[in-house]
Amino acid sequence: MFFQLIVSGIAIGATYALMALAMVIIYKTSEVLNFAQGDMAMLSAFVAFTLLTENNLGFPAAFAGALAFAFALGAFLEFAFLRRAKEPNVLGLIIITLGLEMILYGLASWKWGSDQKDFPFPVSDFDTHEIGAVVISDLNLVTLAVALSLMLLLFLFFRYTKAGVAMKATQQNETAARLMGIRVNRILMLTWGISSVVGAAAAFMIAPVDTLDPNLMWTPQLKGFSSAVLGGMTSLVGAVGGGFLLGIIENLFGGYVSVEFKSVVAFAVIVVILCLRPSGLFAKHYVRKV
Amino acid sequence: MRKGLILALALALALALAGLAAAAPVRGVTDTTIKIGQWGPQTGPAALWGSVARGTGCYFELINSEGGINGRKIEYFLRDDGYQPNRTKAVVKELLENVGVFGFASGVGTSPGMAVMPDIIANDVPWVGTATGSTHWAFPPKKTIFAVYPNYPDEAAILTNYILFTLKKEKIAFIYQNDDYGKGGLEGAQAEIKAHGKSLVAEIPVEVTDTDLASHVMKLKQAGAEAVIMWVLPKHAAILLGTSAKLGFKPTWVACSTLSDAPLMHKITKGLWKDVIFGNFAELPDSNTPLMVKYKAAFDKFADKKSDHWGVFFYAGFGFVEPMVEGIKRAGKDLTVDSFVKAMETLKDFKGIMGRVTFAPGERQGMREVFIARCDEAEVTTADGKKEKMGKAVRLSDWIAVK
Repeated sequence: MFFQLIVSGIAIGATYALMALAMVIIYKTSEVLNFAQGDMAMLSAFVAFTLLTENNLGFPAAFAGALAFAFALGAFLEFAFLRRAKEPNVLGLIIITLGLEMILYGLASWKWGSDQKDFPFPVSDFDTHEIGAVVISDLNLVTLAVALSLMLLLFLFFRYTKAGVAMKATQQNETAARLMGIRVNRILMLTWGISSVVGAAAAFMIAPVDTLDPNLMWTPQLKGFSSAVLGGMTSLVGAVGGGFLLGIIENLFGGYVSVEFKSVVAFAVIVVILCLRPSGLFAKHYVRKV
Repeated sequence: MRKGLILALALALALALAGLAAAAPVRGVTDTTIKIGQWGPQTGPAALWGSVARGTGCYFELINSEGGINGRKIEYFLRDDGYQPNRTKAVVKELLENVGVFGFASGVGTSPGMAVMPDIIANDVPWVGTATGSTHWAFPPKKTIFAVYPNYPDEAAILTNYILFTLKKEKIAFIYQNDDYGKGGLEGAQAEIKAHGKSLVAEIPVEVTDTDLASHVMKLKQAGAEAVIMWVLPKHAAILLGTSAKLGFKPTWVACSTLSDAPLMHKITKGLWKDVIFGNFAELPDSNTPLMVKYKAAFDKFADKKSDHWGVFFYAGFGFVEPMVEGIKRAGKDLTVDSFVKAMETLKDFKGIMGRVTFAPGERQGMREVFIARCDEAEVTTADGKKEKMGKAVRLSDWIAVK
């Protein structure tokens, strides 16, 4: 059972890692915690569902369309709501994201209804491989692959491309970035777009297992947030590592300590990390000296 | 002169008050209308059970189309509580104070119902047919609360008995929602299996917000369960069956009657619901009894086909409310809370589309029987000519009365 719990933990951890990645991307650029992350992803999943079932598009076309929607949604939300904030301190922006979350949830419930739907996906959670006594499914493997490759791509993006470096600069000092000729507004829109796409990818892989409904991403978002706190809100590697770690910790806790309190683990982790090592396990610890 | 004036005023006031008291209107009742409310999970993790409340709406439309009850039409107020007890409280407050309903029909959710029960008792409001089998509604009996849904402990005991003696499996595990709904079933299973000198091999709780059940399945597998009884939300049943199939855990699955909509469960479990055995409180969807035929016609006429299909969760909204409608009918033109309660207490072996319902002074648990069914598959051809497998409930037993 021990190894199965670890493997299942890594499998679910991959979904947490994707959500954490999405949140960290926005945080790295603007120090805003985007609480609408989950529902942005959920909405994209519903769009994919519609493209798949009503418009009868094939998987590649439907997912590409839904990811394009996700990008547009992220960019639009930043452009229309976040940028319009009059006194843009971080707390105010976070509260705006909370409001957006509620709007998106209501929108999805109204348009698609609240009951569970069956989300088709090219890779099945039931096609499994057995390595010894441990079972892992095709879907788990795909999720893992996507999480790791996105992490790598984004890492390279932030370090080596102009846009990526511009994003990091924007986070460090927005005024200086503007003075250096960086079009901060465009960078922010790009950030939100990319983040939304990553979140949407997570949603596509969670929906086949959890059944598609407006509540789909509520728990994954929370776990993603917890993973990001665990691994470090400013570190991409940290976010992904934190995701896997949280998945494993949760599963081991559920298997050996108490199934009843398993859902408390993610929250307990947030509290413990913030008390002991606030910047997370894998991130550099920045101390602001006045 | 002064004294006389004061006396006259006092007398006038007393007469006015007496007049008011005599003509005191019954909340929610006029000569031509009765206001009835219901809360239900139209959104949220239990949204699949939202069709119960919409079914009641359809039922009332049918009754109104036939002229109402004793010349009164029903005004129906449906509110979404998202399966969250604090929202149910707000809903009930609104329906009692702002809308002023006569009574509450059904209402899904043990925890939501328990949150509002004190208010309902305090306000002397009729409440019939809660859509949950908790024992809290009828035990101890309350004046205005009439339970219809057979008790969870009783149903769990019947299912456990079936597993032990008909399926002949001894290693039984119980997976349950970690609230009064799940615990109600757990109690019944525990008591029954203990009475036969054994115990459950595993008792696993699930939180409403849980989405990953891998560790739960691992524990069930580790305990070596041959049969697993589920007392959870449809959503969790789906995740459970999916995760178990993936991890190679194949017990006999037995489910509570809250999961008795076989075609729906078959669909959301992607076919894994085949061969699941479950309890039932109402006629099966293809039943041909006169009432079922009539209600199906009402569904065809009044229901929104985009959000509802003809299934157990929908016509449960009819069945749980039939006794209430009968009670209002029997109370006659002079409808008050007391006349309604007295009328309800005259129901004996009342049969609608569910089991027999009996109330009496001091007796508030109406239905005390269930029957067992299994999910089979039937091949159907869809509108665009594709062949699909659909879940279909098949009766395994007759109505089993609780001892």
